Amino acid sequence: MVIQMILNGLMLGLSYALIALGLTLIFAIMNILNFAHGQMYMLGGFVVYYFYYVFGLNYFFALFMCIPTLALIGVIFEKFFFRRVLTLGRREESSMLLAMGTALLLENIALIAFGYKEQGVPPLIHGVIKIFGGYLPADRAFIILMSVLLIIGLLVFIYKTRPGRALRALAQDKEVTYLMGVDVNKITMLGFAVGAALAGLAGGLLALTFPIFSGSGTPITIKSFLMIMIGGAGVVPGAIIGGFLLGMVESFGYGLISGSMTYLIIFAMIILLLIFRPQGIMGKPWG
Amino acid sequence: MKDVKKFLAVVLITAMAFLAIPQAFAGGEKEAGKAEAKTEMPVLKIGVLGVMTGHAASWGLVCKYCAEANAKIYNERGGVEIDGQKYKIEVTSIDTKQDPKVAVTGAERLVSEGFHYVIGPNVDNTAISVSPVFHDGGVVYIPYSFNKELFSPPNENAILGMIASYQSGPVIYKWLMENRGIKSVAFVARNQPDPLNQRKWGVDAANELGLNVVSWKDTYEPGTTDFYPVMTKVIQNNPDLIVLSGVSPGDAPLLLNAARDLGYKGLISTETSQDLVTLNKVAGKNAEGFIFVGGATTPEIETEEMKYFRKVYEEVAGEWNDEAGTKVYALPAIIWGLQAAGKAALTDVEAFKKAMPNVDVKNPFVKGDRRFRFVGEKWFGQPRQLDVPMVVNQVKGGELETLFVGSVGD
Amino acid sequence: MNQKNYARIVLVATLLFIYLIVLPIIFRNQRYLLNIVITASLLSCASLGVWITFSIGRINIGQGAFAGIGGYTTAILIMKAGFSFWQSFLLAGLLAALIGFLFGLVILRLKGVYFAMLTLSLTETFRLIFLNAEGLTNGGNGIMGIPRPGALSIAGITIIPNFGRSNIFFYYLSATILIIVFLAVWRLYKSRIGWIFKAIRISEDLTRSCGINIVKYRIMAYSICCFLGGIAGSLFTVFYQNIFPASFQVNDSVYFMLYCFLGGLDYLAGPILGAFVLTGAFEVLRFIQKYQEGIYACIMIALMLWLPNGLMSLNLGKVFGKRKEKELETTEADKLLKSYNPDSGRKSLKKEG
Repeated sequence: MVIQMILNGLMLGLSYALIALGLTLIFAIMNILNFAHGQMYMLGGFVVYYFYYVFGLNYFFALFMCIPTLALIGVIFEKFFFRRVLTLGRREESSMLLAMGTALLLENIALIAFGYKEQGVPPLIHGVIKIFGGYLPADRAFIILMSVLLIIGLLVFIYKTRPGRALRALAQDKEVTYLMGVDVNKITMLGFAVGAALAGLAGGLLALTFPIFSGSGTPITIKSFLMIMIGGAGVVPGAIIGGFLLGMVESFGYGLISGSMTYLIIFAMIILLLIFRPQGIMGKPWG
Repeated sequence: MKDVKKFLAVVLITAMAFLAIPQAFAGGEKEAGKAEAKTEMPVLKIGVLGVMTGHAASWGLVCKYCAEANAKIYNERGGVEIDGQKYKIEVTSIDTKQDPKVAVTGAERLVSEGFHYVIGPNVDNTAISVSPVFHDGGVVYIPYSFNKELFSPPNENAILGMIASYQSGPVIYKWLMENRGIKSVAFVARNQPDPLNQRKWGVDAANELGLNVVSWKDTYEPGTTDFYPVMTKVIQNNPDLIVLSGVSPGDAPLLLNAARDLGYKGLISTETSQDLVTLNKVAGKNAEGFIFVGGATTPEIETEEMKYFRKVYEEVAGEWNDEAGTKVYALPAIIWGLQAAGKAALTDVEAFKKAMPNVDVKNPFVKGDRRFRFVGEKWFGQPRQLDVPMVVNQVKGGELETLFVGSVGD
Repeated sequence: MNQKNYARIVLVATLLFIYLIVLPIIFRNQRYLLNIVITASLLSCASLGVWITFSIGRINIGQGAFAGIGGYTTAILIMKAGFSFWQSFLLAGLLAALIGFLFGLVILRLKGVYFAMLTLSLTETFRLIFLNAEGLTNGGNGIMGIPRPGALSIAGITIIPNFGRSNIFFYYLSATILIIVFLAVWRLYKSRIGWIFKAIRISEDLTRSCGINIVKYRIMAYSICCFLGGIAGSLFTVFYQNIFPASFQVNDSVYFMLYCFLGGLDYLAGPILGAFVLTGAFEVLRFIQKYQEGIYACIMIALMLWLPNGLMSLNLGKVFGKRKEKELETTEADKLLKSYNPDSGRKSLKKEG
């Protein structure tokens, strides 16, 4: 029983970490809370559904297609919506309502395009692995593996490459980054694209076990907010810890008590946490 | 000022775009009721009030499509005859968004626009919340809700449009005991009013039949995507039968996957109807042997009339939904009632209610000489239920196999 | 100045005349249309609360929770404790304010997105509490069959007779409450407290340095907001005669914000205008109701891109809304602050480079 919950938590936690990383990246660079993050996750699921199931192509190709599709949406959002509102910069609320608007828009476009029906894809790998009396379906093992690889890949990108360094610099100080000759607009766009693509990849991965439907975005958005509240907004390790913790707690909670009680407790814990550490576990103190 | 103009332009353009979408996308939608409106016939207005957006959208949409398909068939045959006068049927659909507030507003709208016969709503809380509105407004309606009070005196305007789980549950369990030799049962429900009530009735029925209820407390939240934890708990006691109380068509395949992946070998059943397409796609082999109450039709029992309805339904909705086999009865039942009651009932539902016990027509959708009546006296103390055949199906090789056909009247 | 005042008085009088006399007469036999105006009035009431939290510089996505608290308090007091509507109505508002006060002690320390995320979670938290506290709230089954308000009598004198299910009565009830609330908030913003609220939004540090206890004032603002949410929820509950955990959700909280934005955050009448325009427009154009959320989304985006000051900033604002000083207060002060803000620095740098 405990093993089973750990196995479930592992898969949830790692894929949640992936989602939280994308959200925190966008937040760090632009100070925008991307309300459409869950909807981007949902679209990733549909990309995989169409390429893998409907067109019958290779799963890995379908998963890869999440990157350009969602990155494109991210770029469009950044270039046409957020950049203008941020430069107008009248009130902080403006970018937030804009973000909510984009979330609603994506969800409704998905509703019109894909309908309300829940879709699913056939499993990629059949079979179940038994570990210490717990059951781990092969697909879930695959998700765990892929999440770890993607997280490592992202960390390498952020910490070891030139654009990654520019992203980090941008998150620290926009003005100085600009003075250092970095094309701030381009890097901001890149950051938004990477963030969106991460959400899409998570969606594409989890499409293997979870249903794909146009309404799946909002719960994920709320969960991803919880993750970065736990870990601290705008910090990479914080996102990983926040996502992983939430996944584990959710898994144990669902196993031991009911689902809504679990979330009630999670909410209460987060409010308590924020009393003592308003910046989350890993976040930097702020004024 | 330029910005202001831009803003107004965008709002106008989006508004127009959204106006154009219905025409472009859902061509068939509006025509259903209005087709062949050339001849000047008086109109009989039927309302559909159901959830048509969100998680449970398919429930309300099936009602809507069935009403539209039925209306189309009646209209192309020259309308329906009541007291020697032909009437054209017009269907108006309103979305409740599964929100009682929206449902009440929608009901008020139907009342103030002079509707007297309404199909829906689909969910307990919306069905109950519109009850006072329809009662005051003189509307007879056909909700798909399992709440007994709605159909029992002093309420007399609601007619149950389907077979309630407390009616089908005992029948299924009994059949499984006799034919499959089950001894123990476990229940799992979505943590929402309807499924929880259904679980309660299911547990009561199982206890009454002498089944050993090994667990019944497990629930999952609406919007749950990971069913492994809850299923891990359910299969611990290794019951012969797992009942998925009030499971939605979207969740059922995932629950099946979880149970089978975790190594459960016993039977799984539910009292609500399911969607075979989704089952096959998402659960595939894991759906094998899943037992549920089907839409009230199967190839074995369906008549030519039903086949034709199926064809029209597919034109209206795009694809057949098994639940349409149950919901096909709503509009004809209203017509049969009106024909029995006569002209007065068009504006006065009291006449309709008085005539309900007299309705006794041949059921055109089922082979043989099955009759259609308003039933349910045993449960509600008054005939306030449509006599829909109770078809219990099992998934076999990706197809539906009928286990047996029962009836509430039995 | 005199002329402007005159114009404003005429405008207000006309609006009141339409609201209180013309609409009820036209709609007297149209329960459905009356419903729409009642709904808009109640939504305005809750949105005014959200507007107050905006005015202290906090993004509040938690009003749904307090509407829920108000609604459930009313429902439980009426159905289980046998209170009359009038008693429970006040208690609902007060309890919501009290809970808002307690939460405010803690969460108002947070700013910006953290406050927004937390209030968003509050909406979800309270929905889950209502769902789980089965003994009190009936869980997911909700509380149904709540009676409409009965007669109100004080010291044996009937002030308001029992109107049964008549909607005209409810229309005037909601209208009266909206007008009272509006006047109260208006009076508040004419007073010193109103200026302090605005000062807090512009800079908490500056305000504090003037020797003002900002903690006290921001909690006051938040409690008022919650009170308004509570009474609106209470009225919604008796109006629809039922309440469920799903009655007030995250989406509702977001729409309260949208009404404020649509009307204009700088104008007290903004949220009311926003609520009436959006609710009304969808009833007029009911064939697009199916796409309501999609249209809301487009409006939200277009609004932020091209009309960030809301509808009130259109011509109407000149007559009805705030005058020059108001403009100066927000934009000039904002600009001043912005010049210390590195984010806007980038823009000016770019122009030179």
